[in-house]
Amino acid sequence: MRRFFRRAAGRLTQWYRGMSIQMVLSLSFTAVALAGIVFMGSSILLRFSDSTERLTEESTQRLLAQVNMNLDSYLRRMMRVSDAVYYRVIKKTDITDRSMVEDMGLLYEENRDSLVSIAIFNEGGALEAAVPLTGSRLTAFPNESTWFRMALEKMENLHFSTPHIQELFDDPDYRARWVVSLSRHVQLTRDGRTERGVLLVDMSFGGIAQVCQNVDLPNGGYVYLIDRNGELIYHPRQQLIYSGLLEENNLTAAAYNDGSHQEVFQGERREVTVKTVGYTGWKLVGVVPNPPLLGEGDYLLLFAIAILLFSAFLMAFLNFRISAYISDPILRLDQAVRELEAGSEEVRFEESGCDEVRRLGRSIASMVSTMRHLMEDISVQEGQKRRNELEVLQSQINPHFLYNTLDSVIWMTESGRTQEAIQMVTSLARFFRISLSGGRRMIPLGDELEHARHYLSIQEIRYRNRFRFRIGALAGTEGLYTLKLTLQPLLENAIYHGMAGVEDDGEITVEARREGDELIIDVSDNGVGMPPAVLEGLLTGRRGESASGGSGIGVRNVHQRLRLSFGEPYGLTVFSEPDEGTTVRIRLPVLTAEEAAVWEEERP
Amino acid sequence: MRRRRHDIVQLMILSVLGGAVVLTLLLPRLPAEQAAGEATEISVILREGDSALWPNIRLGMEQAAGELRAELRVLTPAEINDGGEQLRILRREVEGETDVVIIAPADPAGLDRALREEAVRQPVVSMESALAAGEVTVAPDNRALGQALGEAVIEDGAGDGFVLLVSASPETAGVTDRLAGAAEALAAAGTKVREREVSIAGGDEGLKTLMKHPDLSAVLVLEPLLTEQAAAIKVGLGLAVPLYGVGVTAEGASYLQQGVISAAAAWSDFAAGYLAVEAAVCLSRGEECRTELLPFFIVRGEDVYEPAYQKLLFPVTA
Repeated sequence: MRRFFRRAAGRLTQWYRGMSIQMVLSLSFTAVALAGIVFMGSSILLRFSDSTERLTEESTQRLLAQVNMNLDSYLRRMMRVSDAVYYRVIKKTDITDRSMVEDMGLLYEENRDSLVSIAIFNEGGALEAAVPLTGSRLTAFPNESTWFRMALEKMENLHFSTPHIQELFDDPDYRARWVVSLSRHVQLTRDGRTERGVLLVDMSFGGIAQVCQNVDLPNGGYVYLIDRNGELIYHPRQQLIYSGLLEENNLTAAAYNDGSHQEVFQGERREVTVKTVGYTGWKLVGVVPNPPLLGEGDYLLLFAIAILLFSAFLMAFLNFRISAYISDPILRLDQAVRELEAGSEEVRFEESGCDEVRRLGRSIASMVSTMRHLMEDISVQEGQKRRNELEVLQSQINPHFLYNTLDSVIWMTESGRTQEAIQMVTSLARFFRISLSGGRRMIPLGDELEHARHYLSIQEIRYRNRFRFRIGALAGTEGLYTLKLTLQPLLENAIYHGMAGVEDDGEITVEARREGDELIIDVSDNGVGMPPAVLEGLLTGRRGESASGGSGIGVRNVHQRLRLSFGEPYGLTVFSEPDEGTTVRIRLPVLTAEEAAVWEEERP
Repeated sequence: MRRRRHDIVQLMILSVLGGAVVLTLLLPRLPAEQAAGEATEISVILREGDSALWPNIRLGMEQAAGELRAELRVLTPAEINDGGEQLRILRREVEGETDVVIIAPADPAGLDRALREEAVRQPVVSMESALAAGEVTVAPDNRALGQALGEAVIEDGAGDGFVLLVSASPETAGVTDRLAGAAEALAAAGTKVREREVSIAGGDEGLKTLMKHPDLSAVLVLEPLLTEQAAAIKVGLGLAVPLYGVGVTAEGASYLQQGVISAAAAWSDFAAGYLAVEAAVCLSRGEECRTELLPFFIVRGEDVYEPAYQKLLFPVTA
């Protein structure tokens, strides 16, 4: 179980993490609203159900009280008739002297709407007087009837029978009339002596039925009437019960006390309210079936549920809109940040939504702006740094060369080689003039070649003609631009290392040509060359163990300058065979004067 | 993608809630609309217009019609047991688009034939006699009823003469069955039996002549109207021959009490009427209905006002 809950919690957490803020907000709001509505609805439902039940109960009891009152009134009226017959007719008449029929007839006429007959029997069951029918049926034996026996057994009481067919009198119309008999013991006066007798007042069953029928209880409920033994007196579907087509729970109801009871009869739950009818001991029973699934009472309930559901619908809709209003600016910010992460430069940070979100948007926009500025600064600093590096590299060339040349001039002057010294100084002057080139970093190839020629002239004097040199350029290349001081370090390398073992047949050549979009300058010597191990580390700075003297820093400087200036595809390539010579190939982009000027501007 | 999923979830929630609102608003209307459907029109075609038992049947029918929302149209032939006119009435009702027909057939065989040939669309409930073409029959077990009456005659002692079995509508299957049952029971006891047919419409002379026969040991009448007629003849002529019959009205009960009728077979006419209409409504709704035999009983004079019999024989009326 614990594992199940843990797994469920894990899934929920995973689900929650995968949800957008809008979904979290809208679902949370909606869940809370729905919970509130369900709680409220349940409370209302329970309250409604309770009050409906109470109302039903009260209504049934009220109706039963009304029916009871009407029935009581009806029965009392019958009892008054009985009293009137007894005290105003029987008590005052000696049946030997005069007939009671006339007086009984008057009373019957007064109450004929409710009465079927009034009859007086002597103790043996013989008819003494009766209205409106006067002839006793030969086959009738009243003294065998329950109402007769009861009257004589309990003389002080009035007795009400259950409904039955009146079959005491000869009726020429052969009518079978249902009556409820009210019987009592009476004292008849015959010839001055009193004797026991029975007074029978037969009430029309219709009178009782009229009192009880047309009582509409909730949910199609009805009222029926039983005697103290549960025998049916009135039921709206009485004949169906008599015919065996329907059953009623009347015998159980007879045991109920007054008040409301719940019972299940034939699988149906129903509320039964019982009210005892005063004198008779009869019981009025109100039956209210529990409402069906869509009973009348449920319509109101359904309407209330519809309103609650509509509230939930409205609430959910508002929740979705409000959550969208809150979360949309956040989602737009999130989207903008994602675009920024993806490298987009045209990202716009909206400042919308509530205060916190606007502030967040402003902060992010400010941060991005700061970041951009920082990046620009870094870029500028990087450029500056690169330029500084270039300058440092260039600055490594000049002192080195100047020192060597001046050393040679001193040496030639001291040895009296004045003419050569003058030539050297002149070349040096020309050399420096080109080196300066007005501070420009790009110079025409012609100037660079001129620069190389002066340098070689200086070195040729210095090295006492141990080598010859030749500089050539194919037509159209001299006007192209190259990085200043590219050739001099390579020539210096060729002289110091290539010509190291050469007697007087050294030769250094510089040849320039154009190959497509590239300017190629080969600097070759026929010197000692380099073993592969040295060659491999020449441009990278990683020197092999068998490396000869010389650091090769000048060549490497040129290579790095070219790459820093024009990119990876450009730079130097060195071809060398031991004892054969070395060729260093310079690869440059073809740059016209305009392109060189643009290059200079873009790289301050 | 996520936004789209979110939109779908929201739409689903709103749809469910909206659907629930519409459902709860429409739901109360459905039963009302169902209840507001038209009442079932039932044509009741009897075979005798002035049967003393009819009021009780009618009470049962009206009770059922009130409870089951049905409208009754009661029709009787001008002449008692006129099967031809019954058929004409039936055709007229069928053409008039009645929903269902309840008929007490005067000529069950002829009616059966006509129902089959004319392919009557409406369901037919028969009373008293079974119809092969009718869906439901509401009647007692007529053969057993006849046997029980025959046994009542034997119980009282049939004497040396013959027992006269009288009927007015030999075409009526129910009556024929009663006749056969009674004859069977009497024959089994070795009692001599004679079967005779009389016409109710033609006066009581035929029946009088039959009942005056000197060798009669008992008269067994197998139709309600004829039973009362025979009782009146017996009283009128002062005959002593034991009389047995079918059906108990208030007048019949009086004859029973007086001993004019020795015993009568009876059943609850109220129940018969109620069950007939209940079956008719059930059939008109296309539901399956079962034919149930009405319980019958043999009642004698001393028992007729016993509470159990009272309740069955005399419907409670307000």
